[in-house]
Amino acid sequence: MNRVIIINLNGIAYQLEENGYDALRTYLDNAAQRLEGNPDKSEILADIEQAIADKFRVVLGANKNVVMSREVESALAEMGPVQDANSTGTASASADTSSKMGPDSGAASSGSRTENEKPPGAAKRLYTIQEGAMFLGVCNGLAAYFGIDVTIVRILFVILTWFWGAGILLYVVLGSIVPTATTSAEKAAAFGAAATTQEFIRRAKEGYYEGMKSLHDKSARREWKRRFKQDMQGWSRNFQSEMQRNAHRWQQHWPHPGGGPAFAAPFFWLINLAITVVIVFALYSLVKTGVVFGLSLPVGMPLWVGIVLLLVIWRCVMWPFKAMRWHAYYGGHYPPCGGPFGGFWDSIAGLAIAILSFWLADHYIPQFHEALKQLPPLLHQAIDSVQSWLEKR
Amino acid sequence: MDIEEKFSSIRKGMLEFLVLKIIAADQVYAADILKDLNATDFATQEGTLYPLLSKLRREELVDYEWKESESGPPRKYYKLTSKGREQLRDTLEHWQKIITTVKNLGQK
Repeated sequence: MNRVIIINLNGIAYQLEENGYDALRTYLDNAAQRLEGNPDKSEILADIEQAIADKFRVVLGANKNVVMSREVESALAEMGPVQDANSTGTASASADTSSKMGPDSGAASSGSRTENEKPPGAAKRLYTIQEGAMFLGVCNGLAAYFGIDVTIVRILFVILTWFWGAGILLYVVLGSIVPTATTSAEKAAAFGAAATTQEFIRRAKEGYYEGMKSLHDKSARREWKRRFKQDMQGWSRNFQSEMQRNAHRWQQHWPHPGGGPAFAAPFFWLINLAITVVIVFALYSLVKTGVVFGLSLPVGMPLWVGIVLLLVIWRCVMWPFKAMRWHAYYGGHYPPCGGPFGGFWDSIAGLAIAILSFWLADHYIPQFHEALKQLPPLLHQAIDSVQSWLEKR
Repeated sequence: MDIEEKFSSIRKGMLEFLVLKIIAADQVYAADILKDLNATDFATQEGTLYPLLSKLRREELVDYEWKESESGPPRKYYKLTSKGREQLRDTLEHWQKIITTVKNLGQK
């Protein structure tokens, strides 16, 4: 049996065991001391007393109207030392280390912190909680009871009540409740740009085929093609200006001063170089031995066809990289010859024409044929000399 | 020193920013702020929070009104002032810069 001392906390009387009173007195005196010079000292102290009173109220009930010493001590440990917000780091740091070094207070505060999360009242009961509620506080209360986040409960509730058309509503709800993650401006810009490219191509394809389908005779088709080409050129100009504008926007957002995906350009150039080297090596081995990486030419296929095939393969492999390089370098300022897409087909067409004329010349002009016949041995000689020079080094 | 201790001074410095952020979302009681923070790594105590709230009120970043609650005496119900909102916006911008810096430092 211990003596009880009645105190007043914010206008309400509490009965504390004698030792508990002493602990509380010490705590409040310390707090007053720490807050000396703080213009809000009395208000802060009032808040602290109120908080302590709340903690006391938790342990009191119909059959218990005295706060035990250890209950006072655990409440004070939860409160923590009063740190003047204006104090410098050293003062609060020392307060922290002192509270750390006391194992009792540490354990008590961590233990009581979980206690803190339980709603007041000995038995957990389901209430509707008005504070911070949207309508009737139903979701709020459910969340407190189950210990889930209110937001989750609200979302579930919305889903339950509105099953049809929940998509848009859910989206709006999520959009307003869930914090917007900051998409890096780069991602946004990149996506926007890709969208316009796709959009352009899609529109072009759709329009073109639509036109073709609706026209019946050849002359009308030709007319349509001509008109379409004109429109396409106009669009491509629009597209270019749009891409330029986008490029400016990207460059604003990009942290690196290099602008756009320019960092990728040397990388792609390296790939370009690597592939070219591979092709040169393939050509060399083809001419020398008639074998490329272990694959021999099909029987009867003249050498030059093999070379041409190799070149075409090279072009095909190069195309995506070249496209990306163009994109990186020019970032939308495509030169009038049509950029990477046009360039590829142009070069293929050019290659085809060159091959055709070559073959024709070979076939129909004997001198040319003779000269061509000389070529492989000449080539072999050249390669031999290069090889011997390499070996001499 | 384990990782928690290493970050303790950073957590202390960020507390004001986080409290403003919590109050910005909704009007709250001090107990709610503590509840939100205690669910994270930034758990704090009344002894730290009340003086901080007082300081914020003195700087006119937050304001409170007395609100009746069913159980017990009226309590302070905190909300953000327009000045507070501005400062929070500036702080968030600054915070973004810090994040970007941290992300980019050391990357070649």
